[in-house]
Formats: sequence, C-alpha cells, structure tokens
Amino acid sequence: MTDGQTITVDVIAVEQITPLVKHFTLARPDRGNLPGFSGGSHVVVVMRGEARVFRNPYSLLGPPHALDTYQIAVRRMEESRGGSQFMHERLRVGSRLEIAHPVNLFALDKRARKHLLIAGGIGITPFMAQIEELRGGNVPFELHYAVRSREHAAFAARLHERAGERVRIYYDDAGAPIDHDGLLAAQPLGTHVYVCGPAGMISRVTEVARRWGWPDSHVHWEQFSAPPVGDAFEVYLARAERRVQVLADQSLLEAVEAAGVDVPYLCRGGVCGFCQTRVLELDGELLHNDHYLSDAEKSSRKTIMPCVSRARCRNLVLDL
Amino acid sequence: MTLSGIKSKPVYAPLRADPAGRRHLLLGVAPGGEALLTVLDELRGLAPEALTRTQVLYAAEHGSAQGSGGTVSLASFAAVGVAEARGFDSTGEVLAAYRDVLASSVMGLRVYVAGPESFLGLAIQTALEFNLNRDEIRAQVAGSLARRVRCVHCRATTEDVRTNIVACGGCGRWLFVRDHYSRRLAAYMGVMVDAELPGERPQIHEAFP
Repeated sequence: MTDGQTITVDVIAVEQITPLVKHFTLARPDRGNLPGFSGGSHVVVVMRGEARVFRNPYSLLGPPHALDTYQIAVRRMEESRGGSQFMHERLRVGSRLEIAHPVNLFALDKRARKHLLIAGGIGITPFMAQIEELRGGNVPFELHYAVRSREHAAFAARLHERAGERVRIYYDDAGAPIDHDGLLAAQPLGTHVYVCGPAGMISRVTEVARRWGWPDSHVHWEQFSAPPVGDAFEVYLARAERRVQVLADQSLLEAVEAAGVDVPYLCRGGVCGFCQTRVLELDGELLHNDHYLSDAEKSSRKTIMPCVSRARCRNLVLDL
Repeated sequence: MTLSGIKSKPVYAPLRADPAGRRHLLLGVAPGGEALLTVLDELRGLAPEALTRTQVLYAAEHGSAQGSGGTVSLASFAAVGVAEARGFDSTGEVLAAYRDVLASSVMGLRVYVAGPESFLGLAIQTALEFNLNRDEIRAQVAGSLARRVRCVHCRATTEDVRTNIVACGGCGRWLFVRDHYSRRLAAYMGVMVDAELPGERPQIHEAFP
C-alpha cells in the first residue's frame, strides 16, 4: 500500500466529544461518495508533520450505508509518539489529509445467531458502525461498553438512540464493572463475542470465554498497538542495499518508509500480518510487539512485523 | 484429498475428546456406540469432571437399514459415568432429540457424532443451523457409507444409495453419484449419466457399502 493509492479528504467538522476524544468528519473535496466499507473497518490516516510522516489506523464509526462522509474518533494518548497529538492539535475544519482505503480486520460473522459486543473506552469505535449494520436485521445483539466515567462516555447518547436497551454502559467510577463470567457463561449456541478495548480487557474476555468452553472461531478481538518507543537501532535492507537508522520514537516501518522503501501494510498495528518481513541476518534479539505471529514464529528469529516490532542488535539484515 | 480430487467430499477422522469444551453431547447410531465409548474414555482421562456435563443420545438400530450390528448397550454409557444417556429407536428420533438439545444449549458445547455416513451428514447439517463451527463438532464414520443423493435436475433427494449410478426417486433420471458434497443439503450431487446418449449407462456396481 503506497501513498499513491490514498484518498484525499478534507476535514469538514471537528468536535471535542470527551476530555480526551475528538471526533472528525472527513469528506472528499468534491463531496463525492467515498468507497464502501463494512462495520469494523479502519482507515490509515497519513499525517505529514514537519519532521516526519505518521500513519495511524482509525476505525470508521459512521453508518456503512452513508458514504458522503467518513467519521473517526481519536483519543489523545498520554505517551503519544506524535500521531494522536497531530490529530488533536493540528487538524482544523478545512485541513486536507490523505487516507488509505478502508480495510476490515474485525468484521461481524454473519452466520452468527447472536452478536455480543464488548467495548472498553475508545474501543467503542468499530462497534459504532457495526450496530448500524445490526440494528436493521433480525439477529439479536447486545453491546456492553465500559468507560471511566460519564464525562468519558463517548457516544453514549448516540448509542442509546441507535440501539436502545441493547446497549449497556458501565461506569468505572460507579463501581459496577462488566460481569464477564455472567455474560459468557450463558449465551445461546451460535453466539459470537467481539471485544475491542485495552489489552487487559481483551485478555480477560478471551480468557473467560475459553474457561466457559468457547471455541476460538466464535471469539473476535481487535487491538491496534501503537508502535512502542524503544532504543534506536540500525538495520540493513538487503534488496535496497541501504543502511537505515531507526530512531527511538520511530517504528521500523516508518524508518524504512522514510528511506524511500515501500513496504505493503494494512493496519500498522500488529494485527493483519501484511508487513511481515523476512529476517536474513541477526546478531542480537528481536522485540516482537505484534498480535499476529505465533510464539514459535516469534522465537524462530526469522521473521518480524516492522509496524510495531523492534530489535536490540548489533546487526540486523531484512529482506527488503 | 480424495480419489476424485473433489474438495467438498467430507473427510471424517476418528473422534478425539476436546477437554476445552464446557459440555459434551455425543450422538451415535448402531456401531457408532463403540466410537463414543472410546471418546468418553479419553475424556475421562483428560478431564474426569467433564463427564458430569456430558450427555449421550444413542440408537442401537439404524432405523430402516438392517443388520447394522455391533451395537452397544445403553448401560455401558451409564457405566462410564456420563450425566445422562438416552436410548432411541431410530436415527430420526436421535436427530430430533439432538435438535432440541441444541436449541436449549449455551456456548461451550462440543458435539461428537458416530454412525453411518448419512447420519453424520444430517447431524452436521443441523449443527450448521445453530452456527456450530468445525471446532465445535466432530464426526467419525461407523457403519454404512450409503449416500443421500440430491438430483441436480429435479432437486429430490434419494436416500440410502449404495451404487455408483442410481435412478432418481423424484424424476426417474439415471444419476451418476458424484463426490461433490453439500454440507447445507447433507447430500452428494447426482448428475444425469445418459444425457448425451439416452439409455447408454456405465455398469452399475456397489460403490458405497
């Protein structure tokens, strides 16, 4: 996916919806329709800062049938490497952006007899589009949404309006958390559970589901990892015959791209596996941060996901 | 891969217990009972407490088919320590009871099926309606390979087909029984064999004993 295949959009509305979350409405400059998408899709937004380019994935949260605009919501990250800060501080109505085409790595399984959606914080965004798909159908669904407090409950009013009693919001400061065991112990056969939120919530839900005998094919989760900050290191790209410095707060993928070498990507968050790259030589260790490679692949020292993973090494040669 | 190379031809394997399941439902017909006892034995070794959440539905006779043989007694399931073992007189009754159990079950169930191939197909067809995936249902052939054959011309299903070529029970056309299988219809496809040269048919022989 190179920047040549992106879509140009303008920011046509910006709204601060919680103390940490801003909502952006994007449209084509000519106001023509944007590409179709399904609930759970994300787009990668290309942000051209002064010193460098950020590319972050954000879920599309508008109704999939309304293609005159795309809506995204961005939570400001405390230890941001710059992407969410850029979105919060630099974007105004009228700002022009490049976005990649929508990709869905978190689609609803349409064979399900019931959908159980569990969201934590900003993890609500993919479900916003999914409930638009579900509310018109006859397959039952429930959305359970955990947030810090009322002021942090993004989209609460819109959720209640669109899905009524099928939505339940849990406020941490009210001391009534989601009862995962209660939820997962007694769902009818053919239910699928979907979870999007903080890492702790995802591991809790998948673990509780496993305890109640849920098979993997009925458990879905999405978590985009932001590329973690680490120590700077150097990498040699064998095919491009280039030596590249990866800065402490830069991802390996960003460093390779900045050197002018294109790597195919879809999610930039360690989920999709698209940017998987062969390791040709390694003197040191790989620091895997993705949710894609198996443990065996991670310990093989032969492959890496450059979007989120790094290395601590004296020598690293990649098949790029 | 099968001899015909057709990928939809189901490949069944010996049953293995899945201790990750919270509850277990075993269905068997006639000689399938032996396979169920084997998998119960394995389950008891892996997760003995799981037997208290295990149910068996079993018919010693395959209904219409005679001489199925190799049946086991209902008491042998109780002896293993399962929570419930129910006996039935026919395949149809087992399938009806199975449907009732699925309708009232919650997530976490594993289904094990053993018996004639057509019985496996019908059990999997019902499982699809309840969105049970391949990691929730497993099946092993024990007994006849006789096929349910769907006529692609008139859409009638002919039961208990043991020969390579069969007259369609619906329209009377002579059908070649293919390996092309539909899980949704629980049937192999039958295609008119003498369309080009009416009356000219290959020799009929038993192909699915």
